[in-house]
Amino acid sequence: MAEDLDNIDAFEAKETSHKLPVGWLILFWGLIIWGVYYFVTYSPAISGWTQTKAYEESVKK
Amino acid sequence: MSDYQYDNQTVKGFIVSSIFWGVVGIVIGLLISIQMWKPETNFAPYFTFGRLRAVHTNGLAFGLGVGAIFGLSYYIIMRLAKRPLLFPKLARFQLYLFNVGILLAAVSLLMGQTQSLEYAELEWPIDLAIVILWVMFAINVFGTIIKRKEEQMYISLWYIIATTIAVAVLYIVNNLSIPAGLTKSYHLFAGVNSANVEWWYGHNAVGFVFTTPILAMFYYFLPKSTGIPIYSHRLSIIAFWSLVFAYLWTGAHHLVYTPLPDWIQTLGIVFTIFLIAPSWGSVVNGYYTVGTDWSKMNTNYLTKFFIMGITFYGLQTVQGPTQGLRIVSQLIHYTDWVPGHVHMGTMGWVTMTTAASIYYVIPKIYHTEIYSEKVANIHFWLVLIGQLIFSITMWITGIQQGALWKATNADGSLKYTFIETLTKNYPYWQLRTVGGLIFTVGMLFFIYNIYMTIRKGSLAEAKA
Repeated sequence: MAEDLDNIDAFEAKETSHKLPVGWLILFWGLIIWGVYYFVTYSPAISGWTQTKAYEESVKK
Repeated sequence: MSDYQYDNQTVKGFIVSSIFWGVVGIVIGLLISIQMWKPETNFAPYFTFGRLRAVHTNGLAFGLGVGAIFGLSYYIIMRLAKRPLLFPKLARFQLYLFNVGILLAAVSLLMGQTQSLEYAELEWPIDLAIVILWVMFAINVFGTIIKRKEEQMYISLWYIIATTIAVAVLYIVNNLSIPAGLTKSYHLFAGVNSANVEWWYGHNAVGFVFTTPILAMFYYFLPKSTGIPIYSHRLSIIAFWSLVFAYLWTGAHHLVYTPLPDWIQTLGIVFTIFLIAPSWGSVVNGYYTVGTDWSKMNTNYLTKFFIMGITFYGLQTVQGPTQGLRIVSQLIHYTDWVPGHVHMGTMGWVTMTTAASIYYVIPKIYHTEIYSEKVANIHFWLVLIGQLIFSITMWITGIQQGALWKATNADGSLKYTFIETLTKNYPYWQLRTVGGLIFTVGMLFFIYNIYMTIRKGSLAEAKA
């Protein structure tokens, strides 16, 4: 009995195979930009923020 | 008899073994969920929560999960490489060793032998056996792919390759330890380094056992079941490379507000949040694929498994990264929210997708049809309802727990004792057992359906 093997062409839609949805691209680049912002803001060596300082401030309130 | 018959039997062997360990793991899960609210169901020393919990997690991750991954990866590789496995006998031997290994692992955990590292509890002799097992798998994966008869490599093969490499690296590095006898060892790393390596491993076990191989199945079996080609090849490739690039940086999000240096925590959080994009690349690709013909949800019984599976993957990959943020972590970390999150992934995404893949493969191996689509539909709804009850009850009680822990009086003292916050979990823990029971009954329908299909196929083969 013949085994059904795969024709790779049947897996990929022809017309849309190179498309990247715009919404997804915005998400992708948006998260990279956000990542840079977050890293700068919460890195002790760059912004001076530390976990300990943040804790002490929260206790003062 | 075709060249593939022997390999197909190996694939079937892995599937049946994984279902067997799945039953063991799920039944133990049910028992430990009862132990949480009914302490007298602990039977010391072997069947207490402390020991059984590790049998549950290891049994399902390595028994059900890895067993199905071995079998289904081989099935996918052979068909995409257009050739039988390069070393069929090695794969068969791997199947036997796999079952012996899982059995020994379960027994050793019941004996109380543990490295005290979550998801890496197994002691060094069993670690060695697992490494050997994985090397056997890698030899067949790479050998068969290198000697393939189809030049182009479909996305599923990339996901299987990533799984093979990443699990090997993670498992070996985190299990480096200094033996002190046959059943005891000490982690090579100490203190905060040990924690950092452990959660680098722990989080990526989720990434490369519960994500990449399951995506390999999703990308392969969705088009096969529905007959609809994947919407965008480019999107699947970009999502793949950005996922494997980002994943390995994320473990530190398990150690927010610990002595781990602040910048490592921050870096971990950044990569964790970024992971939403590659994860949703696959989600969007799945939706757009089925979106070209939504009627498949009615006409093909497997479509809803895949769509529900990828939906839970989508929810999981937003919830998970969000939990990494400091503001969220400080509320829900160490609470019952976390098992709620994990089980949406394992019961919703992993088990749903794997079960659908097995539904597809078993009839193919026997050249027959599934025994009953109706039974499969009952299975679908029961596991869906069971999983939702499990996750939602744990989210509610987790938020409650975190809020009670954080509540302070005007003088700064804690408002609630630990035991007060604990007893408030009971009704939710009881409801979780109900959810688990419904899920288990659903899985029994699945197993019955697979068993009957195998029987039907064997009878037809015997006649032919």
